[in-house]
Amino acid sequence: MPALPVEEVDGLIATGATARMTDAVEPRFRPGDHVTVRNLNPLTHTRLPRYARGKTGTVEADRGVFCFNDTNAHGQGHKPQHVYGVRFAARDLWGEQAAARDVLYLDLFEDYIEPHGT
Amino acid sequence: MNGVHDLGGMHGMGPINPEPNEPVFHAPWERTVFGLFITTFAGGHFNVDEFRHAIERMDPAHYLRSPYYEHWLHAMESLLVQRGALTPDEIDGRMAQLAKEPA
Amino acid sequence: MPDTHEDLDTREDDVALRVRAIESLLIEKGLVQPAALAAIVETYETKIGPHNGAQVVARAWTDPAFKARLLSNATGAIAELGFSGVQGEDMVVVENTPTVHNMVVCTLCSCYPWPTLGLPPNWYKSAPYRARVVIDPRGVLSEFGVDLPPEKEVRVWDSNAELRYLVLPERPAGTEGMDAAALAALVTRDAMIGTGVAAAAGAGGAP
Repeated sequence: MPALPVEEVDGLIATGATARMTDAVEPRFRPGDHVTVRNLNPLTHTRLPRYARGKTGTVEADRGVFCFNDTNAHGQGHKPQHVYGVRFAARDLWGEQAAARDVLYLDLFEDYIEPHGT
Repeated sequence: MNGVHDLGGMHGMGPINPEPNEPVFHAPWERTVFGLFITTFAGGHFNVDEFRHAIERMDPAHYLRSPYYEHWLHAMESLLVQRGALTPDEIDGRMAQLAKEPA
Repeated sequence: MPDTHEDLDTREDDVALRVRAIESLLIEKGLVQPAALAAIVETYETKIGPHNGAQVVARAWTDPAFKARLLSNATGAIAELGFSGVQGEDMVVVENTPTVHNMVVCTLCSCYPWPTLGLPPNWYKSAPYRARVVIDPRGVLSEFGVDLPPEKEVRVWDSNAELRYLVLPERPAGTEGMDAAALAALVTRDAMIGTGVAAAAGAGGAP
């Protein structure tokens, strides 16, 4: 594989490599939806933190379609899908010790979540 | 994987201790590791998800005790070896050779 | 496992030697160009850092139309000031207000908005901050010398996917007559992570 030439360094740094994908994928969720995080425990790579598994939150934003880290880490393709900004009440994650009005946001791939109550 | 890297919510990790006027790199080798990461990543030797997962597979005690750029060194070295760009024997041999020379 | 300073120094020497070995092998094999390596390091040591993000914040404080663009399309608005690229490809800016305080973390690794803040400080990448800020954000803030009233809502953003977050701090009181350049000097790195607030006028900003 070729070495990165010095004359390409500035352009590379200023451009980067977005994980956003142009595939037309229908979103399964919309802002306002209540979603529950699936209780996934893969032996492989995942961007789903343990503390959120099984917890319920509210979709606040559709971030668009992104390459799925969990498959891309293992040569299993991009599996493009929507990522959602999901809001959790701190008390739903940590119980009564958390401050009543505090919240936490995660960006969750569609594969990580299901409609609340299913 | 349910690894030690998944730290959110853990107790007992100690104080945060921000370093006043912290330099970007703390040692010359950290500079080199950072630069090598960017160049080998740009060279297509691995993607960022493979890189993160290689860090997650570090020995957990080593992960917690080592400086940050050692995580990067571990991931880069293991992926470059896995992809055949380097061999462990080459690295050992070069280390032995360099150890005899002044830095 | 090393437990004494001598052990740590010996191990650090060993790591440095390993890095030199890998570097020299990659150069020899034509996989790395030394000039490219030097250019990358120089860029992140001298050109890219929190002074970039401070310009974004100061512009937002002085230009309402820019601020609106920043909050609706952060990547595009930040690029207007010339900041873009690696680890800032898809940006989100979250605004502090009299009722809301935002904080950013990456609990799984070390994700951080490089074009606006540079490379992250060690504490941001280390276990204590990553472990605690999600479960006890107010305790973490106290450790940074920031005490929030209970009625203020704390929002923690765990950058676990490929979005990168920048906090737009509140503009300090008493800065009404200041221009963007003077305001930028009040914007600290920690204020843009959310572990600090922008310095009061005349106080100067560090870190």
